[in-house]
Amino acid sequence: MESQDKYRVALLSSYALALHGFETLIPSPIPWLRLGLSNIVTLVTLYQYGMKPALMVTLIRVVLGSLFLGTFLGPAFFLSLGGGLAGAFSMGIVITLFPGLFSPLGLSLIGALFHNTAQLFIAYLFFIQRIDAIILVAPVLIAAGTLTGAINGIAARYLVIEIQKADRESPSPMTGT
Amino acid sequence: MKKTFIVFIALAICALSSCNPGKESIYKESRITMDTLVTITVSSSSDTVAKAAVDKAFREIDKLGKLLNFFAGDSEVTLINKSAGSMPVTVSKETLDVIERALHVADKTEGAFDISIGPVSSLWDFHTKTMPEEDALKEKLKLVSYKNVVIDRKNSTVFLKKKGMMIDLGGIAKGYAADRAAEVLKNSGIKSGIVAAAGDIRTFGTRPDGSAWNIGIKNPRQTGDDDEILAVIRLSDQAISTSGDYERYFIKNGIRYHHILDPKTGRPAYGCRSVSVITKEGVFTDAFSTGVFVLGPRRGMEILKKMGFDGIIVDSDGNILMTEGIKGKIEVKGNKP
Amino acid sequence: MRSKGTNHNTTFGDKVLLLLLVFLSVYSFIFIKEVMPEGSDIRIEAAGKLLYTLPIHINKTVEVNGPLGTTVVEIRDSRVRIKESPCNNKICVHEGWVRSGAIICLPNRVIVSITGKANKKHEDIDGITG
Repeated sequence: MESQDKYRVALLSSYALALHGFETLIPSPIPWLRLGLSNIVTLVTLYQYGMKPALMVTLIRVVLGSLFLGTFLGPAFFLSLGGGLAGAFSMGIVITLFPGLFSPLGLSLIGALFHNTAQLFIAYLFFIQRIDAIILVAPVLIAAGTLTGAINGIAARYLVIEIQKADRESPSPMTGT
Repeated sequence: MKKTFIVFIALAICALSSCNPGKESIYKESRITMDTLVTITVSSSSDTVAKAAVDKAFREIDKLGKLLNFFAGDSEVTLINKSAGSMPVTVSKETLDVIERALHVADKTEGAFDISIGPVSSLWDFHTKTMPEEDALKEKLKLVSYKNVVIDRKNSTVFLKKKGMMIDLGGIAKGYAADRAAEVLKNSGIKSGIVAAAGDIRTFGTRPDGSAWNIGIKNPRQTGDDDEILAVIRLSDQAISTSGDYERYFIKNGIRYHHILDPKTGRPAYGCRSVSVITKEGVFTDAFSTGVFVLGPRRGMEILKKMGFDGIIVDSDGNILMTEGIKGKIEVKGNKP
Repeated sequence: MRSKGTNHNTTFGDKVLLLLLVFLSVYSFIFIKEVMPEGSDIRIEAAGKLLYTLPIHINKTVEVNGPLGTTVVEIRDSRVRIKESPCNNKICVHEGWVRSGAIICLPNRVIVSITGKANKKHEDIDGITG
């Protein structure tokens, strides 16, 4: 990895972390219902630099975030890790296989769906082991994921457009390759 | 695209939240009264109205239960029985009503339904598996005849001619109570509902969707959870009662001794497993289901036809017989003998 | 690896996906409503009063008082039974464990009923005679 890439990943990770931390400050009506704002960063990273940096950013965000919040290696950590990686992977695969089929909005929806599905799966395998409880929660997660996915997608789209506009006007060291 | 999408979402949300203000919905309440479980189901657009009406209906049933209870020491029925052979007893209009109708049914069923069976039914105990002694049975049978129950409408009195006679309204009181409760509900602004006093069910109006009420008829030889219902019948503004040999019984030496006694012999009647009778009033479905059961399938059917009632009889071999009038309204689930 | 295509307007794929997801959300809710034993509760009534409404999946023993004395109701492994009853015939105790329907002790005026979807054995039937 070039040092420039390392900078990028570090910078983007810190953005993601900031959003992650910021989000925990917002009171949520349901404890495990999150906006997933850091997915905006994952999505922008994916658009600008590709899948590998996006996965890196996600991984760093999850690990550091859980260290800061004191949930490292706890249930919340594994849920966050699995969800985050599944979201990043699914978006990366879709953008690679079907470029142009979806805008950031659609990708964000896919990411949110896989994020939540993965979390349900992990919750079932390791923590809850009650299929009826999982099935009961699934619709809420799918619906919430669609909503937050759409919001994040729109935000990410705006960012991507702005960044690319800025790039075209004055190529900065932040964008290379 | 956008428009259809919005319409779709609106529809979906509607389907989820069933956004239909003022829609009729079902309110259901069960209480133990008249020594049985009574369930009242009503359809109403206001929960408050429904609750108040149902409460009033239950109070009516409570009141009737107190008047007509065979076992309570202070009921009018007990008073009549205590005064047997000595003097007429002044009773409430309700008690007189029930006894009058009971005598009418006794007349129509040639004594197969007879409220004066009290002395004989007291000899049986289906919980402790007690059968009467032959001599005692013979002795008490002499006291059984509805013709010795004398009512005086004008003075509102009831008199049992022979000392030792006892009337038991258990075979008619619940049907009557269901009728009365239904009247109370109607007078309280309820347009449709069901009063189910154990197996005596009185329906009025229709379900919220306009269809008839679906009433299940119990399978007299239920073996498990999935064959509880023998048939489902659609009713509105009608009552149904079922008498069956499976409700209270014991088996001794391979013989089923059940609670539906033939007033002529003082022993269980054996022609049927279950009889359901359908007509406008619960007071008649209740009493006739017992009477028809005692008469047996052949003569029972004749009586039903003569009265213009509908009915379903499961005979002692498990065959299902029914009157012409209900053939389009009934769905037989299974016929396991 | 620069962005895939410069057009970031909402694509046809986005619309189809969003539609599908909304569809999935709505119908998974409906599915749950229909299929799941949603909110199965055990209602314990004595002498005409509702005393307890308990979720069926807890393990708990409760005592309620009727005219004859104390009836002991036990909830375990999503089943319920009347464990002890002061009544004579003990029909309620003999019924054993049930998962649906109700156990009724007439003498002591105790009704233990299970409500909720799981109990809708005969959903289309409004009453049972016999």
